[in-house]
Amino acid sequence: MKPAPFAYDAPGTLAEALALLAAEGEDVKPLAGGQSLVPLLNFRLARPDRLVDLNRVEELAYLRRDGDVLRIGALARTRALERSPDVAAGWPLLADAARLVGHPQIRARGTVCGSVAHADPAAELPAALAALDARFHVRSARGARTLSSRELFVSYFTTALEPDELLVEIEVPSLPPRTGAAFVEHARTHGDFALGGAAAVVSLDGSGLCEQARLALVAAGAVPLRAADAERLLAGSRPDARAVEAAADAAVRGLHLGGEDAWRRALLRETARQALERAAARSAA
Amino acid sequence: MPGVAAVLTGADLEGRARPLPTGSVEDGVVADAGHPVLARGKVRYAGEPVAIVVARSRALAEDAAELVEVEYDPLEPVLDPRTAGGAPLLHDHVPGNVLVSWARTSGDVEGAFSRADRVVAQSFHIPRLVAAPIEARGAIARHEVREDVLTVWCSAQDPHRPLAQLGAALDRDPDRLRVVVPDVGGAFGSKGAVGVEVAAVAAAAVELGLPLRWTEDRAENFLSAYQGRGLDADVELALAVDGRILGLRAVLYADLGGYLYPTTAVAPHTTAMLLTGAYAIPAAAVQVIGAATTKVPTGPYRGAGRPEAAFLVERMVDLAARDLGLEPVELRRRNFVPPEAFPYETPMGWTYDSGDFERCLDTALELVGLDRWRAERERARAEGRLVGIGIGMYIERAGGLWESAEARLEPDGRLLVRTGSSPHGQGHETTFAQIAAEELGIDPAAVEVRWGDSLAGPAGVGTFASRSVAMGGSALVVALRELKERAAGAGVGVLELAASEGGLEVSARFGSGLVFASGAYVAVVEVRRATGRLEVLHLAAVDDSGRIVNPLLAEGQVLGATVQGLGQCLVEEAVHDEEGQLTTANFADYSLLTAAELPPIESRFVETLSPLNPLGAKGIGEGGAIATPAAVANAVADALAPIGVRHVDPPFTEPKLWRLLREAGA
Amino acid sequence: MTSRIAVELNGRLYEGDVEPRTLLSDFIRHGAGLTGTHVGCEHGVCGACTVQLEGEPVRSCLMLAVQADGRSLRTVEGLAPAGGLHPIQAAFQERHALQCGFCTPGFLLSIEAFLRERPDPGAAEIREALAGNLCRCTGYRAIVEAVELAAERLRAGRGA
Repeated sequence: MKPAPFAYDAPGTLAEALALLAAEGEDVKPLAGGQSLVPLLNFRLARPDRLVDLNRVEELAYLRRDGDVLRIGALARTRALERSPDVAAGWPLLADAARLVGHPQIRARGTVCGSVAHADPAAELPAALAALDARFHVRSARGARTLSSRELFVSYFTTALEPDELLVEIEVPSLPPRTGAAFVEHARTHGDFALGGAAAVVSLDGSGLCEQARLALVAAGAVPLRAADAERLLAGSRPDARAVEAAADAAVRGLHLGGEDAWRRALLRETARQALERAAARSAA
Repeated sequence: MPGVAAVLTGADLEGRARPLPTGSVEDGVVADAGHPVLARGKVRYAGEPVAIVVARSRALAEDAAELVEVEYDPLEPVLDPRTAGGAPLLHDHVPGNVLVSWARTSGDVEGAFSRADRVVAQSFHIPRLVAAPIEARGAIARHEVREDVLTVWCSAQDPHRPLAQLGAALDRDPDRLRVVVPDVGGAFGSKGAVGVEVAAVAAAAVELGLPLRWTEDRAENFLSAYQGRGLDADVELALAVDGRILGLRAVLYADLGGYLYPTTAVAPHTTAMLLTGAYAIPAAAVQVIGAATTKVPTGPYRGAGRPEAAFLVERMVDLAARDLGLEPVELRRRNFVPPEAFPYETPMGWTYDSGDFERCLDTALELVGLDRWRAERERARAEGRLVGIGIGMYIERAGGLWESAEARLEPDGRLLVRTGSSPHGQGHETTFAQIAAEELGIDPAAVEVRWGDSLAGPAGVGTFASRSVAMGGSALVVALRELKERAAGAGVGVLELAASEGGLEVSARFGSGLVFASGAYVAVVEVRRATGRLEVLHLAAVDDSGRIVNPLLAEGQVLGATVQGLGQCLVEEAVHDEEGQLTTANFADYSLLTAAELPPIESRFVETLSPLNPLGAKGIGEGGAIATPAAVANAVADALAPIGVRHVDPPFTEPKLWRLLREAGA
Repeated sequence: MTSRIAVELNGRLYEGDVEPRTLLSDFIRHGAGLTGTHVGCEHGVCGACTVQLEGEPVRSCLMLAVQADGRSLRTVEGLAPAGGLHPIQAAFQERHALQCGFCTPGFLLSIEAFLRERPDPGAAEIREALAGNLCRCTGYRAIVEAVELAAERLRAGRGA
């Protein structure tokens, strides 16, 4: 379990990193936290020609509140989400999801942007960010573009990023008042990948009715899945136990999940129910 | 390639390495199907070593290994030991793919079944498991050409069995072979027989005249280290209406894999021998069919046949209790081998030396708080929740054969002990020092314990079957008593004699028949309706290991074994696909429990002393792994009884339990 | 194709030539000769290879040695004062929290960082904090107890 040989660069600036990623005729991969990539290297399941290590690009190492939004730079570690007072105050869903990513030793290195770019549908942060309507800022030597989660996540371990593109920042909009959020997942053992999970964001209007519900499912297919039917069902209704049950049913209706299909649906339904219930309770608090 | 010294295949080792020996089973037939050091012509499982690459670094060796081209002409997979007999032969000279066959009948079995008021029958499947010591295997081999001595340092349970096995595989006189076993990062049975990889490394070191190192990585360990368990069984119990067990009949189908490691045949034989468990069953007939399959061989893994026996007989007793409308506790009481019956010879032919099974059970029921949990179970059932209580009695064959010890008492009162018994996490340094200190009345800090070098230490049998204290500890006691006798003869204390004679040396060998540890475990579980998740709410562990030398270390063995047993209930299962490829070949797919999954576990000891050794000791290393799966399996069946589920095989995974809930319309 | 790196390990500078693909765990063991760091799975699950990078516990099997160039690391060899035991090590010994000991260095470095950040942790928090290290011998309970004991002593030491 030693990696196949590769060339290695550790640029000091984003511009240099993007130039290296643009190299023709080579399979070049960016290396951030390495918590997904290095196991693949060790198993020789990934065999890039060249790694571009981002860890010395200081300009990407930030996690900050910027007015109403949260900005997560490409080198922000998952552990930073967990510890940030700004995140705890404004985006507690992200802190809750972060605490379920592997273990402290993994989160100390693993980056938020790296987890997103790896696009494992069983990962926590992509679903949490999808539920928060995050925007994904992408750069390359050719230019810049911004994607939504719908546009970014294409399939299992596949994003819309071109090989020369780098996810440089995730921008998370602020949540409206009277909003509660919750992240619930189900794994075999603590820190293991989710067998199913859900990120819920429930916003109430002044009369206690649900103004907007957002629900993203973990391990529910090829991409972090926004459960549009469930969201529509809850909007305008009082988010009580009966409405939450109905929304949870709607969230998993029609999902086809492969092996153990029916059980996986039951599991997702249960995590969706719990997440919506907790989010609704927090929105009223 | 630069940095690559050699690539050796089975053909290159022709005449230099023979297959490992196959071991034997009393009254059984064991096929001549030892594991070849490197495959020749036919590969019988995915993961079988076909070539070794010798290079300057592990990374370079892996680069070169990728360039080794092997042309495979796929064999038909043989995966199920029940049907292996009808499959194409894996070994041309092994008819019916039967690698091990054994059968024994005792008492009037036919009569018992024809007289029975009730016959209970059940089929079982116990999956394969991976021992997964956190340190994988490894070896360093160096050949001194002038002296023609081959030294092998290896991660093993003791030096003695590698010495014999490597001697046989390499056709090397024991005088020309030295095995050193330094600190070992866990084994759990999986390092008792030397891997063929070690033999290949040793043969290559001789062939190439180079010192070589092999550090197994996790991928190799999953694919190529022998696995544990893997048993299907059909069991029948004949009962009288009052709950007395009249007879037992069983056929065991063991999934042995492509070859026989020296210890492969041991586990199914042990299962058969212990199948009557803690019960005085007058008649029994058990047949073992050890099938060749296209998988890595099996071998001992913590419990090694005993967990299978406990699971089978304890499930049968619970099924019988259900069919007869008796409490499982009561049915057990009516059938226990009573305390006055020891030494008790079982119908299978082993003699239990000592025990008090009812006292173990009573202690466990009190420890778990049976009445409280029964009330809780009723309350839960009224609410539609699925809570169950399960008992797992166990018998652990331990000890047997012999061990040896040497001791030197220095004039200054320090004691140097050399033991043939060798630890890999059990804490011999502590326990043996304590045994010696108690025997001589000296400070344990004055005792130094050494082991693990076939050249420097006394001979021994090995560390397995929970035998270290009973055999190795007793050898030490016998040696030290001889010292005391010498001193008494001289009319002085041992320390005075040592001081006056410039030190004293003594050695002893101690042998005995098998000793039998036993115990009772009680598990309380809940199955969650929404997802099928199994939660273990409480576990009480009562072990009768005879005399406990060090309670802290003994409890450490109990807890460690119990959590391994829980892992087998909750998450562990080696899964092969329809081609025979292992699909659970890393720690992401084959989960081990973490600290976060730990349920409340309480442990107590009952001490009935073994009459067979001076310490009165039996075994402590495996009880938790033996009894926990049985107790949890019974608790799961009890939890699911209200929805009409009769039996579930381990592991009790969420999708499996959820499916049962759904099929029952729950 | 190797490059020269210099890594501060336990306050001492170690230099060595490594390939880009050389794992940090291999550099620590074979380059620096600090074999207290153990390698159990090389895919980031078992935690045996856990070391501290600038005080944070990380998997050394999931870092390249070149990435540690110019950085400061702590391994189990840097935990204890000369000739003694760190309070966490002493608690492990007293509570019998290690059997074969192979996983222990990884546990110690994880726990040391954990208790620095959470000096007075609850029972559930301890168990979750330990979940990133696998132990096949002990069944974990004694490790949990050792963490509780060490936390108590470290708090007392800090207060004194």
